[in-house]
Amino acid sequence: MFITFALITLLGALAMLLQKNVIVAGLCMVATFFGVAGLFVLLGNPVAAALQVIVYTGAIMVLVLFVIMMLNSHEEEKAEASRPVQRWVSLALVAALALGSVKLVLASSGVKALNLNGAALPRATTLQNVGAALFADHLLGFEVVGLLLLAAMIGAVALTKRNL
Amino acid sequence: MTGMDAILQGGLQGYLVVALLLFAIGLATVLLRRTLLMQFMGVELMLNAANVALLAFARFRGGDAQAMVFYLFIIAVAACEAAVGLALVIGLYRHRDTTDSDRAASLKQ
Repeated sequence: MFITFALITLLGALAMLLQKNVIVAGLCMVATFFGVAGLFVLLGNPVAAALQVIVYTGAIMVLVLFVIMMLNSHEEEKAEASRPVQRWVSLALVAALALGSVKLVLASSGVKALNLNGAALPRATTLQNVGAALFADHLLGFEVVGLLLLAAMIGAVALTKRNL
Repeated sequence: MTGMDAILQGGLQGYLVVALLLFAIGLATVLLRRTLLMQFMGVELMLNAANVALLAFARFRGGDAQAMVFYLFIIAVAACEAAVGLALVIGLYRHRDTTDSDRAASLKQ
């Protein structure tokens, strides 16, 4: 089960990176987000999976696809200057980062111990636990996030409106 | 469980490897693609990779609810970033008639 969702996630992301058409790339992103939601279900966290589908695929990707269609920029524009050196250097850096960090995780004894101990622990994250933690310990943060969402909404309207 | 088994059967290492590769693909998208909307999707991918790692650690520490609170904050900030980022892309398109980040290299017209 895990390997299925992991493959959906990674192949979707890879297809997004290689896709020329921006709309198809957006749809690949939707597949990736569903794969991540599946991983959250396997982690015993249905709340996070539901939020992932609702917020990412339901709101953010719809917004992105809407903007792509509105701007009519389906294809990537022709490059002004091809920058082969920068592209190869960045690709090498990313590959080195990925391989190095994967190797570090696999070699780490702390992660191994956590994996062995954690498999036995109770896994369910219930909505009750989350609600209690959110409103008991992080009430101020919750209010600040609400304010941030309001500010982002006003900012987005102010940026897109031609003449206020 | 040895290393390879843990990856294939959904041990903590497996989730972390998925998160790391997801982050690398997102970073590659931001660095290699020129369309701003693609770069934006790369940023979303990196945020998602962080979420996967966070919730994987939370599960292997016995379903820690604090991680879910953090996840909620990350999602809220990602939504704000989506709204403002897309508004900026639309603003750039109005001024320069392009969504190519290479063509937006100077502040003045």
